[in-house]
Amino acid sequence: MIELADVCYAYPGAERFVLEHADLRVEPGTIAGVVGASGAGKTTLAKILSGFIPHVDGGELSGSVVIAGRDLAGLSLSACVRQVGLVIQNPFNQISGARYTVRGELAFGLENLGTAREEMADRVTQVADLLGITQLLDRSPYELSGGQQQLVAIASMLVLRPPVLVLDEPTSQLDPAGTRMVFGVLSQLRESGCTIVIFEHKLELLHAHADRLHVLAGQRIVASGQPGEVLADPRTDEWGVGATRYTRTGRLARDRGLGPVAVPLPVSFDEAVGFFGGGPR
Amino acid sequence: MAPALFVDTGSPVHRLNPVTKLVALLSILVIVFALPQWWTSAIVVVAILVPAAIVARRARALAGIGGRILLPIVLVLVLVQGFTFPGGRTVVWQWGALSLTAEGLTFALNTGARIVALVLASVLLVVTTHPGDLMSALTEHGLSPKFSYIISSTLQLIPSFRTRADGILLAQQARGLAIPRSPLRRVRVMLPLLGPLVLGMFTDVEERGTAMEARGFGSTVRRTALEAVPDSPGQRLARWLMAALAAAAVVVPLVQELL
Repeated sequence: MIELADVCYAYPGAERFVLEHADLRVEPGTIAGVVGASGAGKTTLAKILSGFIPHVDGGELSGSVVIAGRDLAGLSLSACVRQVGLVIQNPFNQISGARYTVRGELAFGLENLGTAREEMADRVTQVADLLGITQLLDRSPYELSGGQQQLVAIASMLVLRPPVLVLDEPTSQLDPAGTRMVFGVLSQLRESGCTIVIFEHKLELLHAHADRLHVLAGQRIVASGQPGEVLADPRTDEWGVGATRYTRTGRLARDRGLGPVAVPLPVSFDEAVGFFGGGPR
Repeated sequence: MAPALFVDTGSPVHRLNPVTKLVALLSILVIVFALPQWWTSAIVVVAILVPAAIVARRARALAGIGGRILLPIVLVLVLVQGFTFPGGRTVVWQWGALSLTAEGLTFALNTGARIVALVLASVLLVVTTHPGDLMSALTEHGLSPKFSYIISSTLQLIPSFRTRADGILLAQQARGLAIPRSPLRRVRVMLPLLGPLVLGMFTDVEERGTAMEARGFGSTVRRTALEAVPDSPGQRLARWLMAALAAAAVVVPLVQELL
């Protein structure tokens, strides 16, 4: 369980708060998507959830951030790391450069935390199996595609067995195949009980994979709910979230008198089929 | 992109413990500076570095990288010292007011030979040692992991820096930036590119730092290693012998001078 209550944060030396009275609640074993315009504070929230704020970035943080019953404010950064794994945007920058095989790369975090050698080898094998990257273990991390590198970055976090995984726009630099690969793995991880918070712009994928969607706008979480409900909200443009291509098409059709009036605007392909498939025009 | 200049050929030189190679490099540094005659450096290059590069199957890399670094240095050294050496009396060639002296050339030879030996020894270490192994080995020998990471990551950031510089240059050329042939004008044209290059590297470093901390790099517990870096009693002995040799190169000339 993740619980953020009344969180306010300003970076060191900044006059403006990036977050003001933000609340967020994520149930265990679910995928929570967080959407918001660029500059809305998504990366800041990701860093707060993973303890990097205030442990690394400093600044003025108030309110409480509780992960699995433990308040992050009372934990050291290395204790936070054991609670929450953080995956960032650029897969290349997550390669340590200190190891020349994917196997070594996956073990790097465990080495830092002083894990016994036999346990390390077991955990690396297990995580590689789980993510389907066993065939990459003996390759150099630098030779992989962006999607594969991002899977390695996710695996590098999972091997530490944190109960929560936070991903900050993990597919922003990936091609469609790499993006599908990452989302497929996230759904798989949810099945294994991991709690996932993903900050993303790809609304259709969030609709397909997330259990709940939260909107970050105006320095706080302004809407939370089922992805379909949130994305169908007429205020999405006002929040800077945008809409799925199905919603945009439905809206255009309705504006031209082509879509049904009584049926809500579609968010997904299936809903679009229903929307355009019948009903009064 | 390659992680650095390291290419694993699986040679005996590659398999040496990185600390052994580092001690060899430091010993060479001490020896060539303690014994300043050019032939000391020449022996180091011919009898140690070149055969080691051949055994490591990295001779071409050593020649290529070493050549690019050394050629301008040696050229400048020969010209500056050859023509302006203060104690130069024996003129071997004259052009107008400029005199190339034997004393200047000898000084350039002695200094240049030391630089050649040092640069080639350093390049050989870099092309035969993975930064990760160097980091693990140094950490095993008691060096702070953060310090050893600085050493190893610096090595692996060189190609990253070059790739980014190429990208910025290409973007500027696409907008009409012409690269002049004259080296001086080229430097002048390139200077404004340093801003985006350095700022971009700062962003990279920050992201890299976040990713490293997320994997417990700041942890204070005693680190473990998935794979032990190979070491042997023979290598340990070799390290002591090299250190002793370096010490002797400093002490023996001093004693001879006193006697």
